[in-house]
Amino acid sequence: MAEGGVNAALGNVDPEDSWESHFKDTVKGGAWINNQKLVETLTKEAPERILDLEEYGALFDRTPEGKIVQRPFGKQSYRRTCYASDRTGHEFMATLVEEVRRRDIDVMEEIFVTNLLKTNNTVVGAFGIEYKTGDFLVFRAKATVLAAGGTGRIYKTTSNAAQDTGDGYAMGYRAGASLIDMEMFQFHPTGMVFPESACGRLVTEGVRGEGGILTNINNERFMKRYDPRLELAGRDVVARANATEILEGRGTPHGGVYLNISHVDAHIIEDRLKTMLRQFLDTGVDIRKEPMEVAPTAHHLMGGVMVNEEVATDLKGLWAAGEVTGGIQGGNRLGGNALAGTQVFGKIAGENAAKYAQNVEKPSIDLAQVKKEIKHAQSSLERRKGIRPVQVRTKLANLMWDKVGIFRTGKELQEAISEIGRMQMEEIPRLYATGKGTRYNHEWIKTFEVENMVLTAEMMARAALMREETRGAHYRKDLPKTDNKNWFVNIVIKQENGKMMFKKVPVVMTLLKQGA
Amino acid sequence: MAKTVKIKVFRYDPDIDKEPHYETYEVPYSEGLMILDALNYIYENIDGTLAYRWACRAGQCGSCAVIINGKPKIACRAALEKEEDVTITPLLQFPVIKDLVVDLERGLRRIERMRPYVERVKKAPRPEIMTAEAIEPIKEFRECIECWACISACPAVAEAWQEFSGPMYHAKFARLQFDERDVEDRVKMAFIEGLYKCTTCRACVEVCPKEIEIPEKAIEKMRAIAVRTGLGPLPGHAEYTSRAIKFGRTVDKIGTSLLEMVQTGYAARVKNPKDTVGYFPGCLTDYRLQEVGKAIIEILTKNNIEVIVPSEFTCCGSPLIRAGLVDEAKENLVPKNVKILEGLGVKTVVTGCPGCGMTIKRNYPELIGRELGFETMHVSQYLARNVDLNVNDMTSVNVKATIHNPCHLNRGLGAPDDLENVMSKIPGVKLVEMEEADRCCGAGGGVRAGERSISMMMARRKGEFIINSGAEACVTQCPFCYIQIRDILKQLGYEQIKVYDLADLMVKSYRGEKP
Repeated sequence: MAEGGVNAALGNVDPEDSWESHFKDTVKGGAWINNQKLVETLTKEAPERILDLEEYGALFDRTPEGKIVQRPFGKQSYRRTCYASDRTGHEFMATLVEEVRRRDIDVMEEIFVTNLLKTNNTVVGAFGIEYKTGDFLVFRAKATVLAAGGTGRIYKTTSNAAQDTGDGYAMGYRAGASLIDMEMFQFHPTGMVFPESACGRLVTEGVRGEGGILTNINNERFMKRYDPRLELAGRDVVARANATEILEGRGTPHGGVYLNISHVDAHIIEDRLKTMLRQFLDTGVDIRKEPMEVAPTAHHLMGGVMVNEEVATDLKGLWAAGEVTGGIQGGNRLGGNALAGTQVFGKIAGENAAKYAQNVEKPSIDLAQVKKEIKHAQSSLERRKGIRPVQVRTKLANLMWDKVGIFRTGKELQEAISEIGRMQMEEIPRLYATGKGTRYNHEWIKTFEVENMVLTAEMMARAALMREETRGAHYRKDLPKTDNKNWFVNIVIKQENGKMMFKKVPVVMTLLKQGA
Repeated sequence: MAKTVKIKVFRYDPDIDKEPHYETYEVPYSEGLMILDALNYIYENIDGTLAYRWACRAGQCGSCAVIINGKPKIACRAALEKEEDVTITPLLQFPVIKDLVVDLERGLRRIERMRPYVERVKKAPRPEIMTAEAIEPIKEFRECIECWACISACPAVAEAWQEFSGPMYHAKFARLQFDERDVEDRVKMAFIEGLYKCTTCRACVEVCPKEIEIPEKAIEKMRAIAVRTGLGPLPGHAEYTSRAIKFGRTVDKIGTSLLEMVQTGYAARVKNPKDTVGYFPGCLTDYRLQEVGKAIIEILTKNNIEVIVPSEFTCCGSPLIRAGLVDEAKENLVPKNVKILEGLGVKTVVTGCPGCGMTIKRNYPELIGRELGFETMHVSQYLARNVDLNVNDMTSVNVKATIHNPCHLNRGLGAPDDLENVMSKIPGVKLVEMEEADRCCGAGGGVRAGERSISMMMARRKGEFIINSGAEACVTQCPFCYIQIRDILKQLGYEQIKVYDLADLMVKSYRGEKP
């Protein structure tokens, strides 16, 4: 869960900060392939959205003057990252839940949406299953916002929650939306490595923001060899550095590198990194006194459903916001930009969807699609034998980690694609749930998730194979150079006639020329 | 073969099963294994039909709370001990949907009804200036992840949820009350939702994954405001609190007080003492349970500890602070006792009353704005930790007894095992376990005096646990618990079950008397 903070050029700590500087850092950090229109919106509007949250009741940590405090994060020119200790994401959620309660907005919890429904090429709602009863639900909607989060669970080691299974990408794809930059997956440089149970759990960038130092087993501050910004280089760079140190045998006994914050005052750690302190104390490590062991962990998909500056997808009736969207973060996301994106684009999505809904008739639902969904949903329940979702997920997660990971080669990507293809053909149709009841049938729901994960993995692997260069988080060992001549483009994926089609599109630029 | 642990899990699918049942699974143990890993292992390798909730596995979403060996905890942060077999059941207070998954709707509705958000009457300035000091008292409450563990653990909620909404809700009230942006009267809301029904037993703190100090920082702070605004204290608190302010004792003097019975001041009782301690008797021991006070002095003396009993003291202030009369305690009582106790010139002050001990140790430093010049310990803590107990002079007491562990000793002073450790050294004690020995008896926090009916419900449950244990005697070491348990057992018709303060029983052993 998002911990370290949210970027907004408030200039509370460094008054010279500006949205233009935030814009520039984001585009440079994103290896130049961000959609600059979206980045403009992000960086211009982030400060206002943070103040919205505060108006709703959010509680960010303060400067001595009583303003929202800001700390340094990777690859940023100024101290720009606002925070609530190291539980900023939780502060967001708590605040938004409170605001939802204030506005008395209906929320239906624990509904798994299997697919978007369409009539006349317009999205008209969705089909879902209620966990509690297993009842099928049809949502008939004038406007729909896709906000389904990411897909970290397709990797063996991830910081992501159980529900981050790529459902939004898969649903978007199946409904015919375009997806962009699906090869760009971020590995967070610092996840826990020990004990096994905690493996992958996020160690916030806030640790490095507060002065944390990375060293290898030889006590060498190895970041010196990789980037002049040291620990506060881009996440792509630090993640590769950590992985390299570990792969080349300079890792710790548990297969990580050391991250040390113990030189910082104990009370600062207790106040600003409280979650980290607790999370490591649980494993017997007191970060006030000793270093942490960390290694990269699958964290965030930069790519996703393509949106324009209205955050409309290319499907009528469908908007999207949050990690499920692509194009904002480019080839590498700066820490603190995801939380900012949720607020900026969430607001735009909501407003535009609402405006649209006021001017359209309530749509009709295509019953054939609903029947198809029901049939599909029932098939895994009716199947008496086959393959369990956990088996497919385990295989996929290992495959993605090994072959579509931090370091990639054409050969391995090709192997991954064939294996994913085999899974699509042989395993997905045989998915089944052990229990046949519909009441809170966890495994039944997981059959849909796994199907989505495999489809998302396919898009990611195939886009990664297509991009024959190294850029941002996409590192090709066999093609380690950035090739601006051929690959200063975005890769867009769309389903056409049942086939996954890829095309190169020019990067949307507004203010910054490439390399400027 | 790899080590395994046995995990017993509550299973129930109301659509299919006639009744709930348990399944036991064997799970391989590895270092650092959490309960959530065990559940995942069961789901992935043994039984795909198991229903349980989880999301972040990092202690931040609050979805995976279950009851583990009787204690509600979030499964992702509950470590599995190597040799321990565990039983996992769903959270209490909520209907089961399936297995470990409960329906939280009732609780969620109740949150909504409390207007749980910063309520403003004026548009917020942008940006809004709030100092670090202003947000300090709220930050801790913001950590709440709504995991519902405290609601499941709270003994007052267990008896009457309709009357006392519970720790999490009161933490939210406090968060809003102390937020200078919020305009509502949250203390009044909290009062209506049972502010005075919390016994401050700290069961909520024990299970909170964020260790939020709800009784101390939410309940008691809001009670203090309730008093300032005239809502509190309750009628039942009036007499003893005003007596404490006027006369320094919460109860009337009947006959001879402990201080009149024993030598006070620097009275050498032992030659070449191993240690010298001050003894703070507290109101009830001085005026009602004098024999317990005498026993404590005698036991310490038997162990070659010099005991200095102050020639005067006032009520420790606990009954006032718990009822919200913090200013009164701070003004009238606390400084006197600080002067008296620091004047004893000892390193350690022992109390026989966990309430006094907790108040001196936890509240005094905050109220006087500095650390105390001595360490405060409950007598059982002191005997268990600082004394190589003289067992040679003890004789067999020959009693089948069960322990009631006082909340303010166990969780207030952080001494869960000391009472049992000391008691188990007395020859002839046959310990029998009661269910939930650490469950609150309902006496604390001003609840016995102020909220009689819910106090009685808690007492009755405690009484039944004692009766069911088959013990001939219940041993505790807190004057409030002692009186509460003694009374309820009599009322339930179990006069024959004796209730002892540990000192009572121990001194009998030293004196060679039969209980």
